[in-house]
Amino acid sequence: MKKIITKPLAIAIFAALSLPTSLHAADEAHAMHQLYQNNCASCHGSDHGGYLAPALNADTLKGRSPTALRTIVMAGSFDTLMPPFYGKLTDDQIRALVKHLQATPKLPNPPFTIDDMKASLKVYVADESKLPEKPSYAIDNMDDVIGVAARGKYGRGEGSRAVFINGKTHQKIGEIPTGTAAHIIDYNPANPRWAYVKTDTAEIFKVDLYSMQAVRSIKTGWNGPGMGVSRDGKYIMAGSFVPHNAVILNADTLEPLKTFELEGIDPDGKQVSSDSGMVIGTPFDDIFAIALENAGQVWVVDLKDDFPVTRITDVGHHLHDAFLTHGGQKLMIASYDDSIVAAIDLKDRKIIKKLEAGCVPHVGGGSAVVVDGRTLGFGTNFGDCDKTVVSVWDLDKMEVVKQVPVSGGTESPAAHANAPYVAVDIISKDRRARTIQLIDKKTLEVVKTLDVGGHAYFPEYSSDGKFLYVSAGYNGDEVVVYDSTSLQKVASIGMESPAGIFAHGRVRYVTRGLSPDEMAQAQGAKP
Amino acid sequence: MSARVYLSAALLATLAMPAQAVSIYAGQARAAAVCSQCHGVKNPSADAPFPPLAGRDEAYLKTALKQYRDKTRPSDIMNAIAGSLSDDDIANVAAYYARLKP
Repeated sequence: MKKIITKPLAIAIFAALSLPTSLHAADEAHAMHQLYQNNCASCHGSDHGGYLAPALNADTLKGRSPTALRTIVMAGSFDTLMPPFYGKLTDDQIRALVKHLQATPKLPNPPFTIDDMKASLKVYVADESKLPEKPSYAIDNMDDVIGVAARGKYGRGEGSRAVFINGKTHQKIGEIPTGTAAHIIDYNPANPRWAYVKTDTAEIFKVDLYSMQAVRSIKTGWNGPGMGVSRDGKYIMAGSFVPHNAVILNADTLEPLKTFELEGIDPDGKQVSSDSGMVIGTPFDDIFAIALENAGQVWVVDLKDDFPVTRITDVGHHLHDAFLTHGGQKLMIASYDDSIVAAIDLKDRKIIKKLEAGCVPHVGGGSAVVVDGRTLGFGTNFGDCDKTVVSVWDLDKMEVVKQVPVSGGTESPAAHANAPYVAVDIISKDRRARTIQLIDKKTLEVVKTLDVGGHAYFPEYSSDGKFLYVSAGYNGDEVVVYDSTSLQKVASIGMESPAGIFAHGRVRYVTRGLSPDEMAQAQGAKP
Repeated sequence: MSARVYLSAALLATLAMPAQAVSIYAGQARAAAVCSQCHGVKNPSADAPFPPLAGRDEAYLKTALKQYRDKTRPSDIMNAIAGSLSDDDIANVAAYYARLKP
C-alpha cells in the first residue's frame, strides 16, 4: 500500500524537478485561460472565435503588434463596448494575456451538455407559493413595465443587471443583478409576473416581476443570446453561439427537457455545424422557430411528443434575427450575407419569398405598422456598404415599397400603433452613433434626428406608445426618454452600458408597431 | 464683400472674448472623447478603479489635470492623457464635469 502511494509521488517529484519550465508554462496557460474566461469571453467568445466582439486567437492576431494589443486592453477602444482594463488587470497580466491569445487557436466547439445545464440550475426561491400575489410597487398595469438589459461597463460585475422601469413614471421599479451582461428580456405571454433574462454567457434567469427578484437560473451554454418563450408560457427555447446547440426548458422550473445539435447542409451544399441565431415563439401555434446561422436553415420545433423538428433549408447565408407578421404565421428572417429578408410561412413551413433588405440586414426585434390599410414592415441594416437605407416592405404583397435613405447603418427599429414615427438607431462609428432618426409612418421620410448621446441604440416605445425609450449606451450610461409626439426629452434613467430595451407590452403585439387587435385575432384562431 | 465684413466681425469677436471664457459644450465633447471611457459621464462603472468626476470642484479638477499634465502628479495613464489636453480643454472639461449632477 505504502509503495503504491510513494511510487507515483516520487515520479511526480522527479517530473517537477526535471521539468520546471514546462510545468510552469502549463500553469501559466491555465491561469491565462481562466483570466480570459473571467474577463474577455462574455464578448469575445469562450471558444476564442468572436461573438459580439472580434475573435481573439493565434490566427486572427497573427502579426499584430503585442504593444498595440496591450494598449487596447489597457485603454479600451473608443466607441465600442471594449472597456479600459487599466487598474483591473496588472501590467504583467495584460502582457501574459496578449502572449497567450497570440498563441491560442480557436477552440473546436467546446461542449456544454444537458448534464452541465442540469448541474448549473440554481434555485433562489424554493417556495414560489409564498411570493406576493400582486406587484409590491405601484403600477397601473404590468404592460407598463419596461426592461432594460444593462450590460455593465465590463460586460460583467456589479453593473450587469436587468433594470425594470415603470413606463409611465419613468422610475426604476427593480434591478436584477445578472453577473454577466444581460442581453435579452422576454416575458411570459400567459402570466404577467414572469420575465426571463438571458445573458451573454447563456445564463437564463427566471424573474418574478411582482417581488422583483430572480427565483431560478440555469446556464444553457457558453455564449449566446437566443431565447424564445412559447405562446402558452410553458416552454423556453434557448440557442447558443458557443457551443452549437439549443435546448428546450420547462419555463416554470427551468429544467432542460431536450437538447438539439445545430448542424445541417448549408445553401452551398456543405454539411456544417452552426451557431444559433434568433429563437422565437409565436402566437400562431405551439411551436418554436430557430435560425441556424451558418447552416442557413430555419427549424420549426413542435411542442409535443419528443419535440419533432421540421427543417426549412436554403433560407440564406448567415441568418441572424427575425420578426413575425400576420398573426405570427409569417416569419421575416434576415440573411446577413445575401442582404435579403426571407419570408417564411410557418403553417406550410416553406419560404414564401426573399426580399431585398439593404446591406447586411439586422432587423432587431423588427417593426410593422398598418398604414392606410397596408401592413408595412421596417427593416434596419448595418449598411456596411455605401447603401444606408431602411427597407419598407408591404407584408401582405411581400414586396419592397421603399428604401428610405438614413444617415448611417442601423440596428433596430421601433414602432407603435399610437406613435407617429418609426425610430431607427444610427450605429455608424462617429458622431452619428449618438443619434436616432425618426421616419414618418405616412410619408416614409426621415423627419427628425435626435441627438441622444453615448452610443444611442435599441429604441423602444412604452406599451401605450406615448414615450420613446432609447439606450445611450457605451459611455452614455443612461436611458433617455422622449415624448413620442413632441420628441421632447422627458426623463433620464442612469445605468451602466444599457443596451436592449424590452417593453412588457410586447406580449400583446405580434410585432412592435402592430395593434393588439392583431394578437387577439391570432389567439382567436387557436385550435 | 459682405462675407468679408462678417468674417472680420467674427474675428474681432473671437479676439475680444476673454481668455478664460469656458465652453461646457466643448467640455462635453472633449469629455465624451477623452475622459468618459474610464470615468463615465455621471458615474464610472461600479467595478471600475476610476474616481467619479461629475459634480467635483471645478478648481480642483483644473489643478489636478494641470498637475497630471506637467507630471508633478505622477500617474502612467493620466500623465499621458492630460498631456494631450490644452489649457482651454482643461478649463472646458473641468467646467463641464463640475456642473454635471452625479
